[in-house]
Amino acid sequence: MSGMNVLLQKEFREAWRSRKFLWIPLVFALLGMSEPLTNYYMMDILEAVGNMPEGFEMLMPELVPADLLLATISQFQLIGLLVLMASFVGAISKERSNGTATLLYVRPISFGSFFISKFIVISAVGFVSIVAGFAASVYYTVVLYGTFEVGTLLASIGTYFIWVLFVLALTLMMSAAFKTTVAATAAFIIIFIGQIIDGLVGTFWTISPWKLPLYGVQLIRGTMEMSDYWWSLVMTVVLICVCMSIGVFSMKKNASSTKI
Amino acid sequence: MTTLLQVTGLTKRFAEKTVVDAIDFVLEEHTSTALIGPNGAGKTTTLSMLTGLLRPSFGSVNMVGGDLRANIGFLPQYPQFQPWLSALEFTEMAAKLSGVSAKKAKQEAQKTLEFVGLGNDLHKKIATFSGGMKQRLGISQAIVHKPKLLLLDEPVSALDPVGRREVLDLLKGLQQQTTILYSTHILNDAEEMTDQLLFLSDGKLVEQGTLREVRQRYDEPNYVVEFSTVEEAQYFVSQSTFKCTVNGCYVSVAIQEDKPSMQQLLESLTAYPYLVRNVARQTASLEEIFMKVAKRV
Amino acid sequence: MMEELANIPWAIIAPLIGVQIILVIVALIDLSKIHATNGPKILWVLIILFINLLGPIAYFIVGRKQS
Repeated sequence: MSGMNVLLQKEFREAWRSRKFLWIPLVFALLGMSEPLTNYYMMDILEAVGNMPEGFEMLMPELVPADLLLATISQFQLIGLLVLMASFVGAISKERSNGTATLLYVRPISFGSFFISKFIVISAVGFVSIVAGFAASVYYTVVLYGTFEVGTLLASIGTYFIWVLFVLALTLMMSAAFKTTVAATAAFIIIFIGQIIDGLVGTFWTISPWKLPLYGVQLIRGTMEMSDYWWSLVMTVVLICVCMSIGVFSMKKNASSTKI
Repeated sequence: MTTLLQVTGLTKRFAEKTVVDAIDFVLEEHTSTALIGPNGAGKTTTLSMLTGLLRPSFGSVNMVGGDLRANIGFLPQYPQFQPWLSALEFTEMAAKLSGVSAKKAKQEAQKTLEFVGLGNDLHKKIATFSGGMKQRLGISQAIVHKPKLLLLDEPVSALDPVGRREVLDLLKGLQQQTTILYSTHILNDAEEMTDQLLFLSDGKLVEQGTLREVRQRYDEPNYVVEFSTVEEAQYFVSQSTFKCTVNGCYVSVAIQEDKPSMQQLLESLTAYPYLVRNVARQTASLEEIFMKVAKRV
Repeated sequence: MMEELANIPWAIIAPLIGVQIILVIVALIDLSKIHATNGPKILWVLIILFINLLGPIAYFIVGRKQS
């Protein structure tokens, strides 16, 4: 992989100088804070808003830490992934359409290096983001509700990271294969419609990448059927590799559509 | 002379349209070649295929004694850069990606930027660069790794007269060190630095050769005789057996370029006491040759 | 006064304030260095300063103009 260091440096510089390395993790941190806080202060918020009938008492379900983590993950699943995907769906396609790719693709560097350098940096942003998000969520949950067991918590975060890797690999593959708008549409459909389908009729199967975020929380609850977990994990990792291979292939194939 | 690049039967088809049609040419080491032709003739497509960005439909491009991609520098017509990098960072990156060792890359980048006249802007972000500065940066990224072959797409077309002069001088300075192939539709530029001409029209290579060869082929030798009065000029035309055109005191005479014709011309000038001010052989400009080539097609 | 300060749940408020301060500082530094923004710069200064949390993020997403 010649030129890998140079390309990594370029991608890191871009992520850093466009401040993506900073604001995306902070968005995740805010998302992480919001769930435990709003749930905890729900009664106060409702009272402040007013219009409560006299003597009204809402029965708030008794929440355990794992519930708040699940609520946080569902925030990440929508807004968090939207931010990550929208930020990186142009990573390859925009370089082609604005012509900056020309001066890179004429160099004696393999498309594998180009693709993987982008994937590594994007994954690093994703990693820092979910670490920041979970840290914020766990902090408030611990302050307001109760503690986690460290081992299963880390396993849960790790599981969610594998899911995010899949989302990012898919996004980058789409960026390599299509123009930015088409790539964004395709990636959003697969990730978000996939979530909806899995939510509606997902009881018919147990092995799917879309179930990984939920399975991560079930690790904490201790209710996880481990064979389902492992097979879903293996399937996701295989799909990541498939996305990367197709991505490298399409990047090479589409190199000629670079604006000169 | 040793051959550096051999292009055989290079063809590019997009759907039904043939943009570049089976062109053959050879580039010798340390020569400059101008690829000229009107807009849409296929110049950029040809260069793109040479860089490897575009795969040819048919035909081959062979670099003698080396891998093509590792030995070229390419300047597109409108080079685009990562605006968040500085000039030095970008050139250094270009050098490293083209195989210059990490140790030497920064030093080479700095030297090259100074050579192209960006010595004072090393650390400025490219986002703040003007068009002329970007063109210089484009040249620096193309030459920083000392490629054997330099491919330039319309290197001076987008520049103002001052910028054009400076960039042309820069390129002339590079002629000794490397082989240059550049496209242009501005013929004065081609006339200024070229060993070989390639005329492209509608994707076909319609003419090629050194400037001299092409001139000889298309030059209809022409002598312009300047008389002192219009009457003299007209009288000469009426007496002459040559094909003449009058323009005031000037008569341009089309003759065969051989000794008998020459003698005949001179005799006809001495046959009558003309007051001849000047006799000069006229060379067709590249512009005129270009028009002729284009017309012939 | 001291009592009131002590009553504030710092464990809950402090991280929020921290994130807000980081966002505002980084956004303002970036704004001062950047070549051009979408829309007038002074507008972004106001948005960053007066819309808590979301102002700086909005700046990073839509305010920065590259190239």
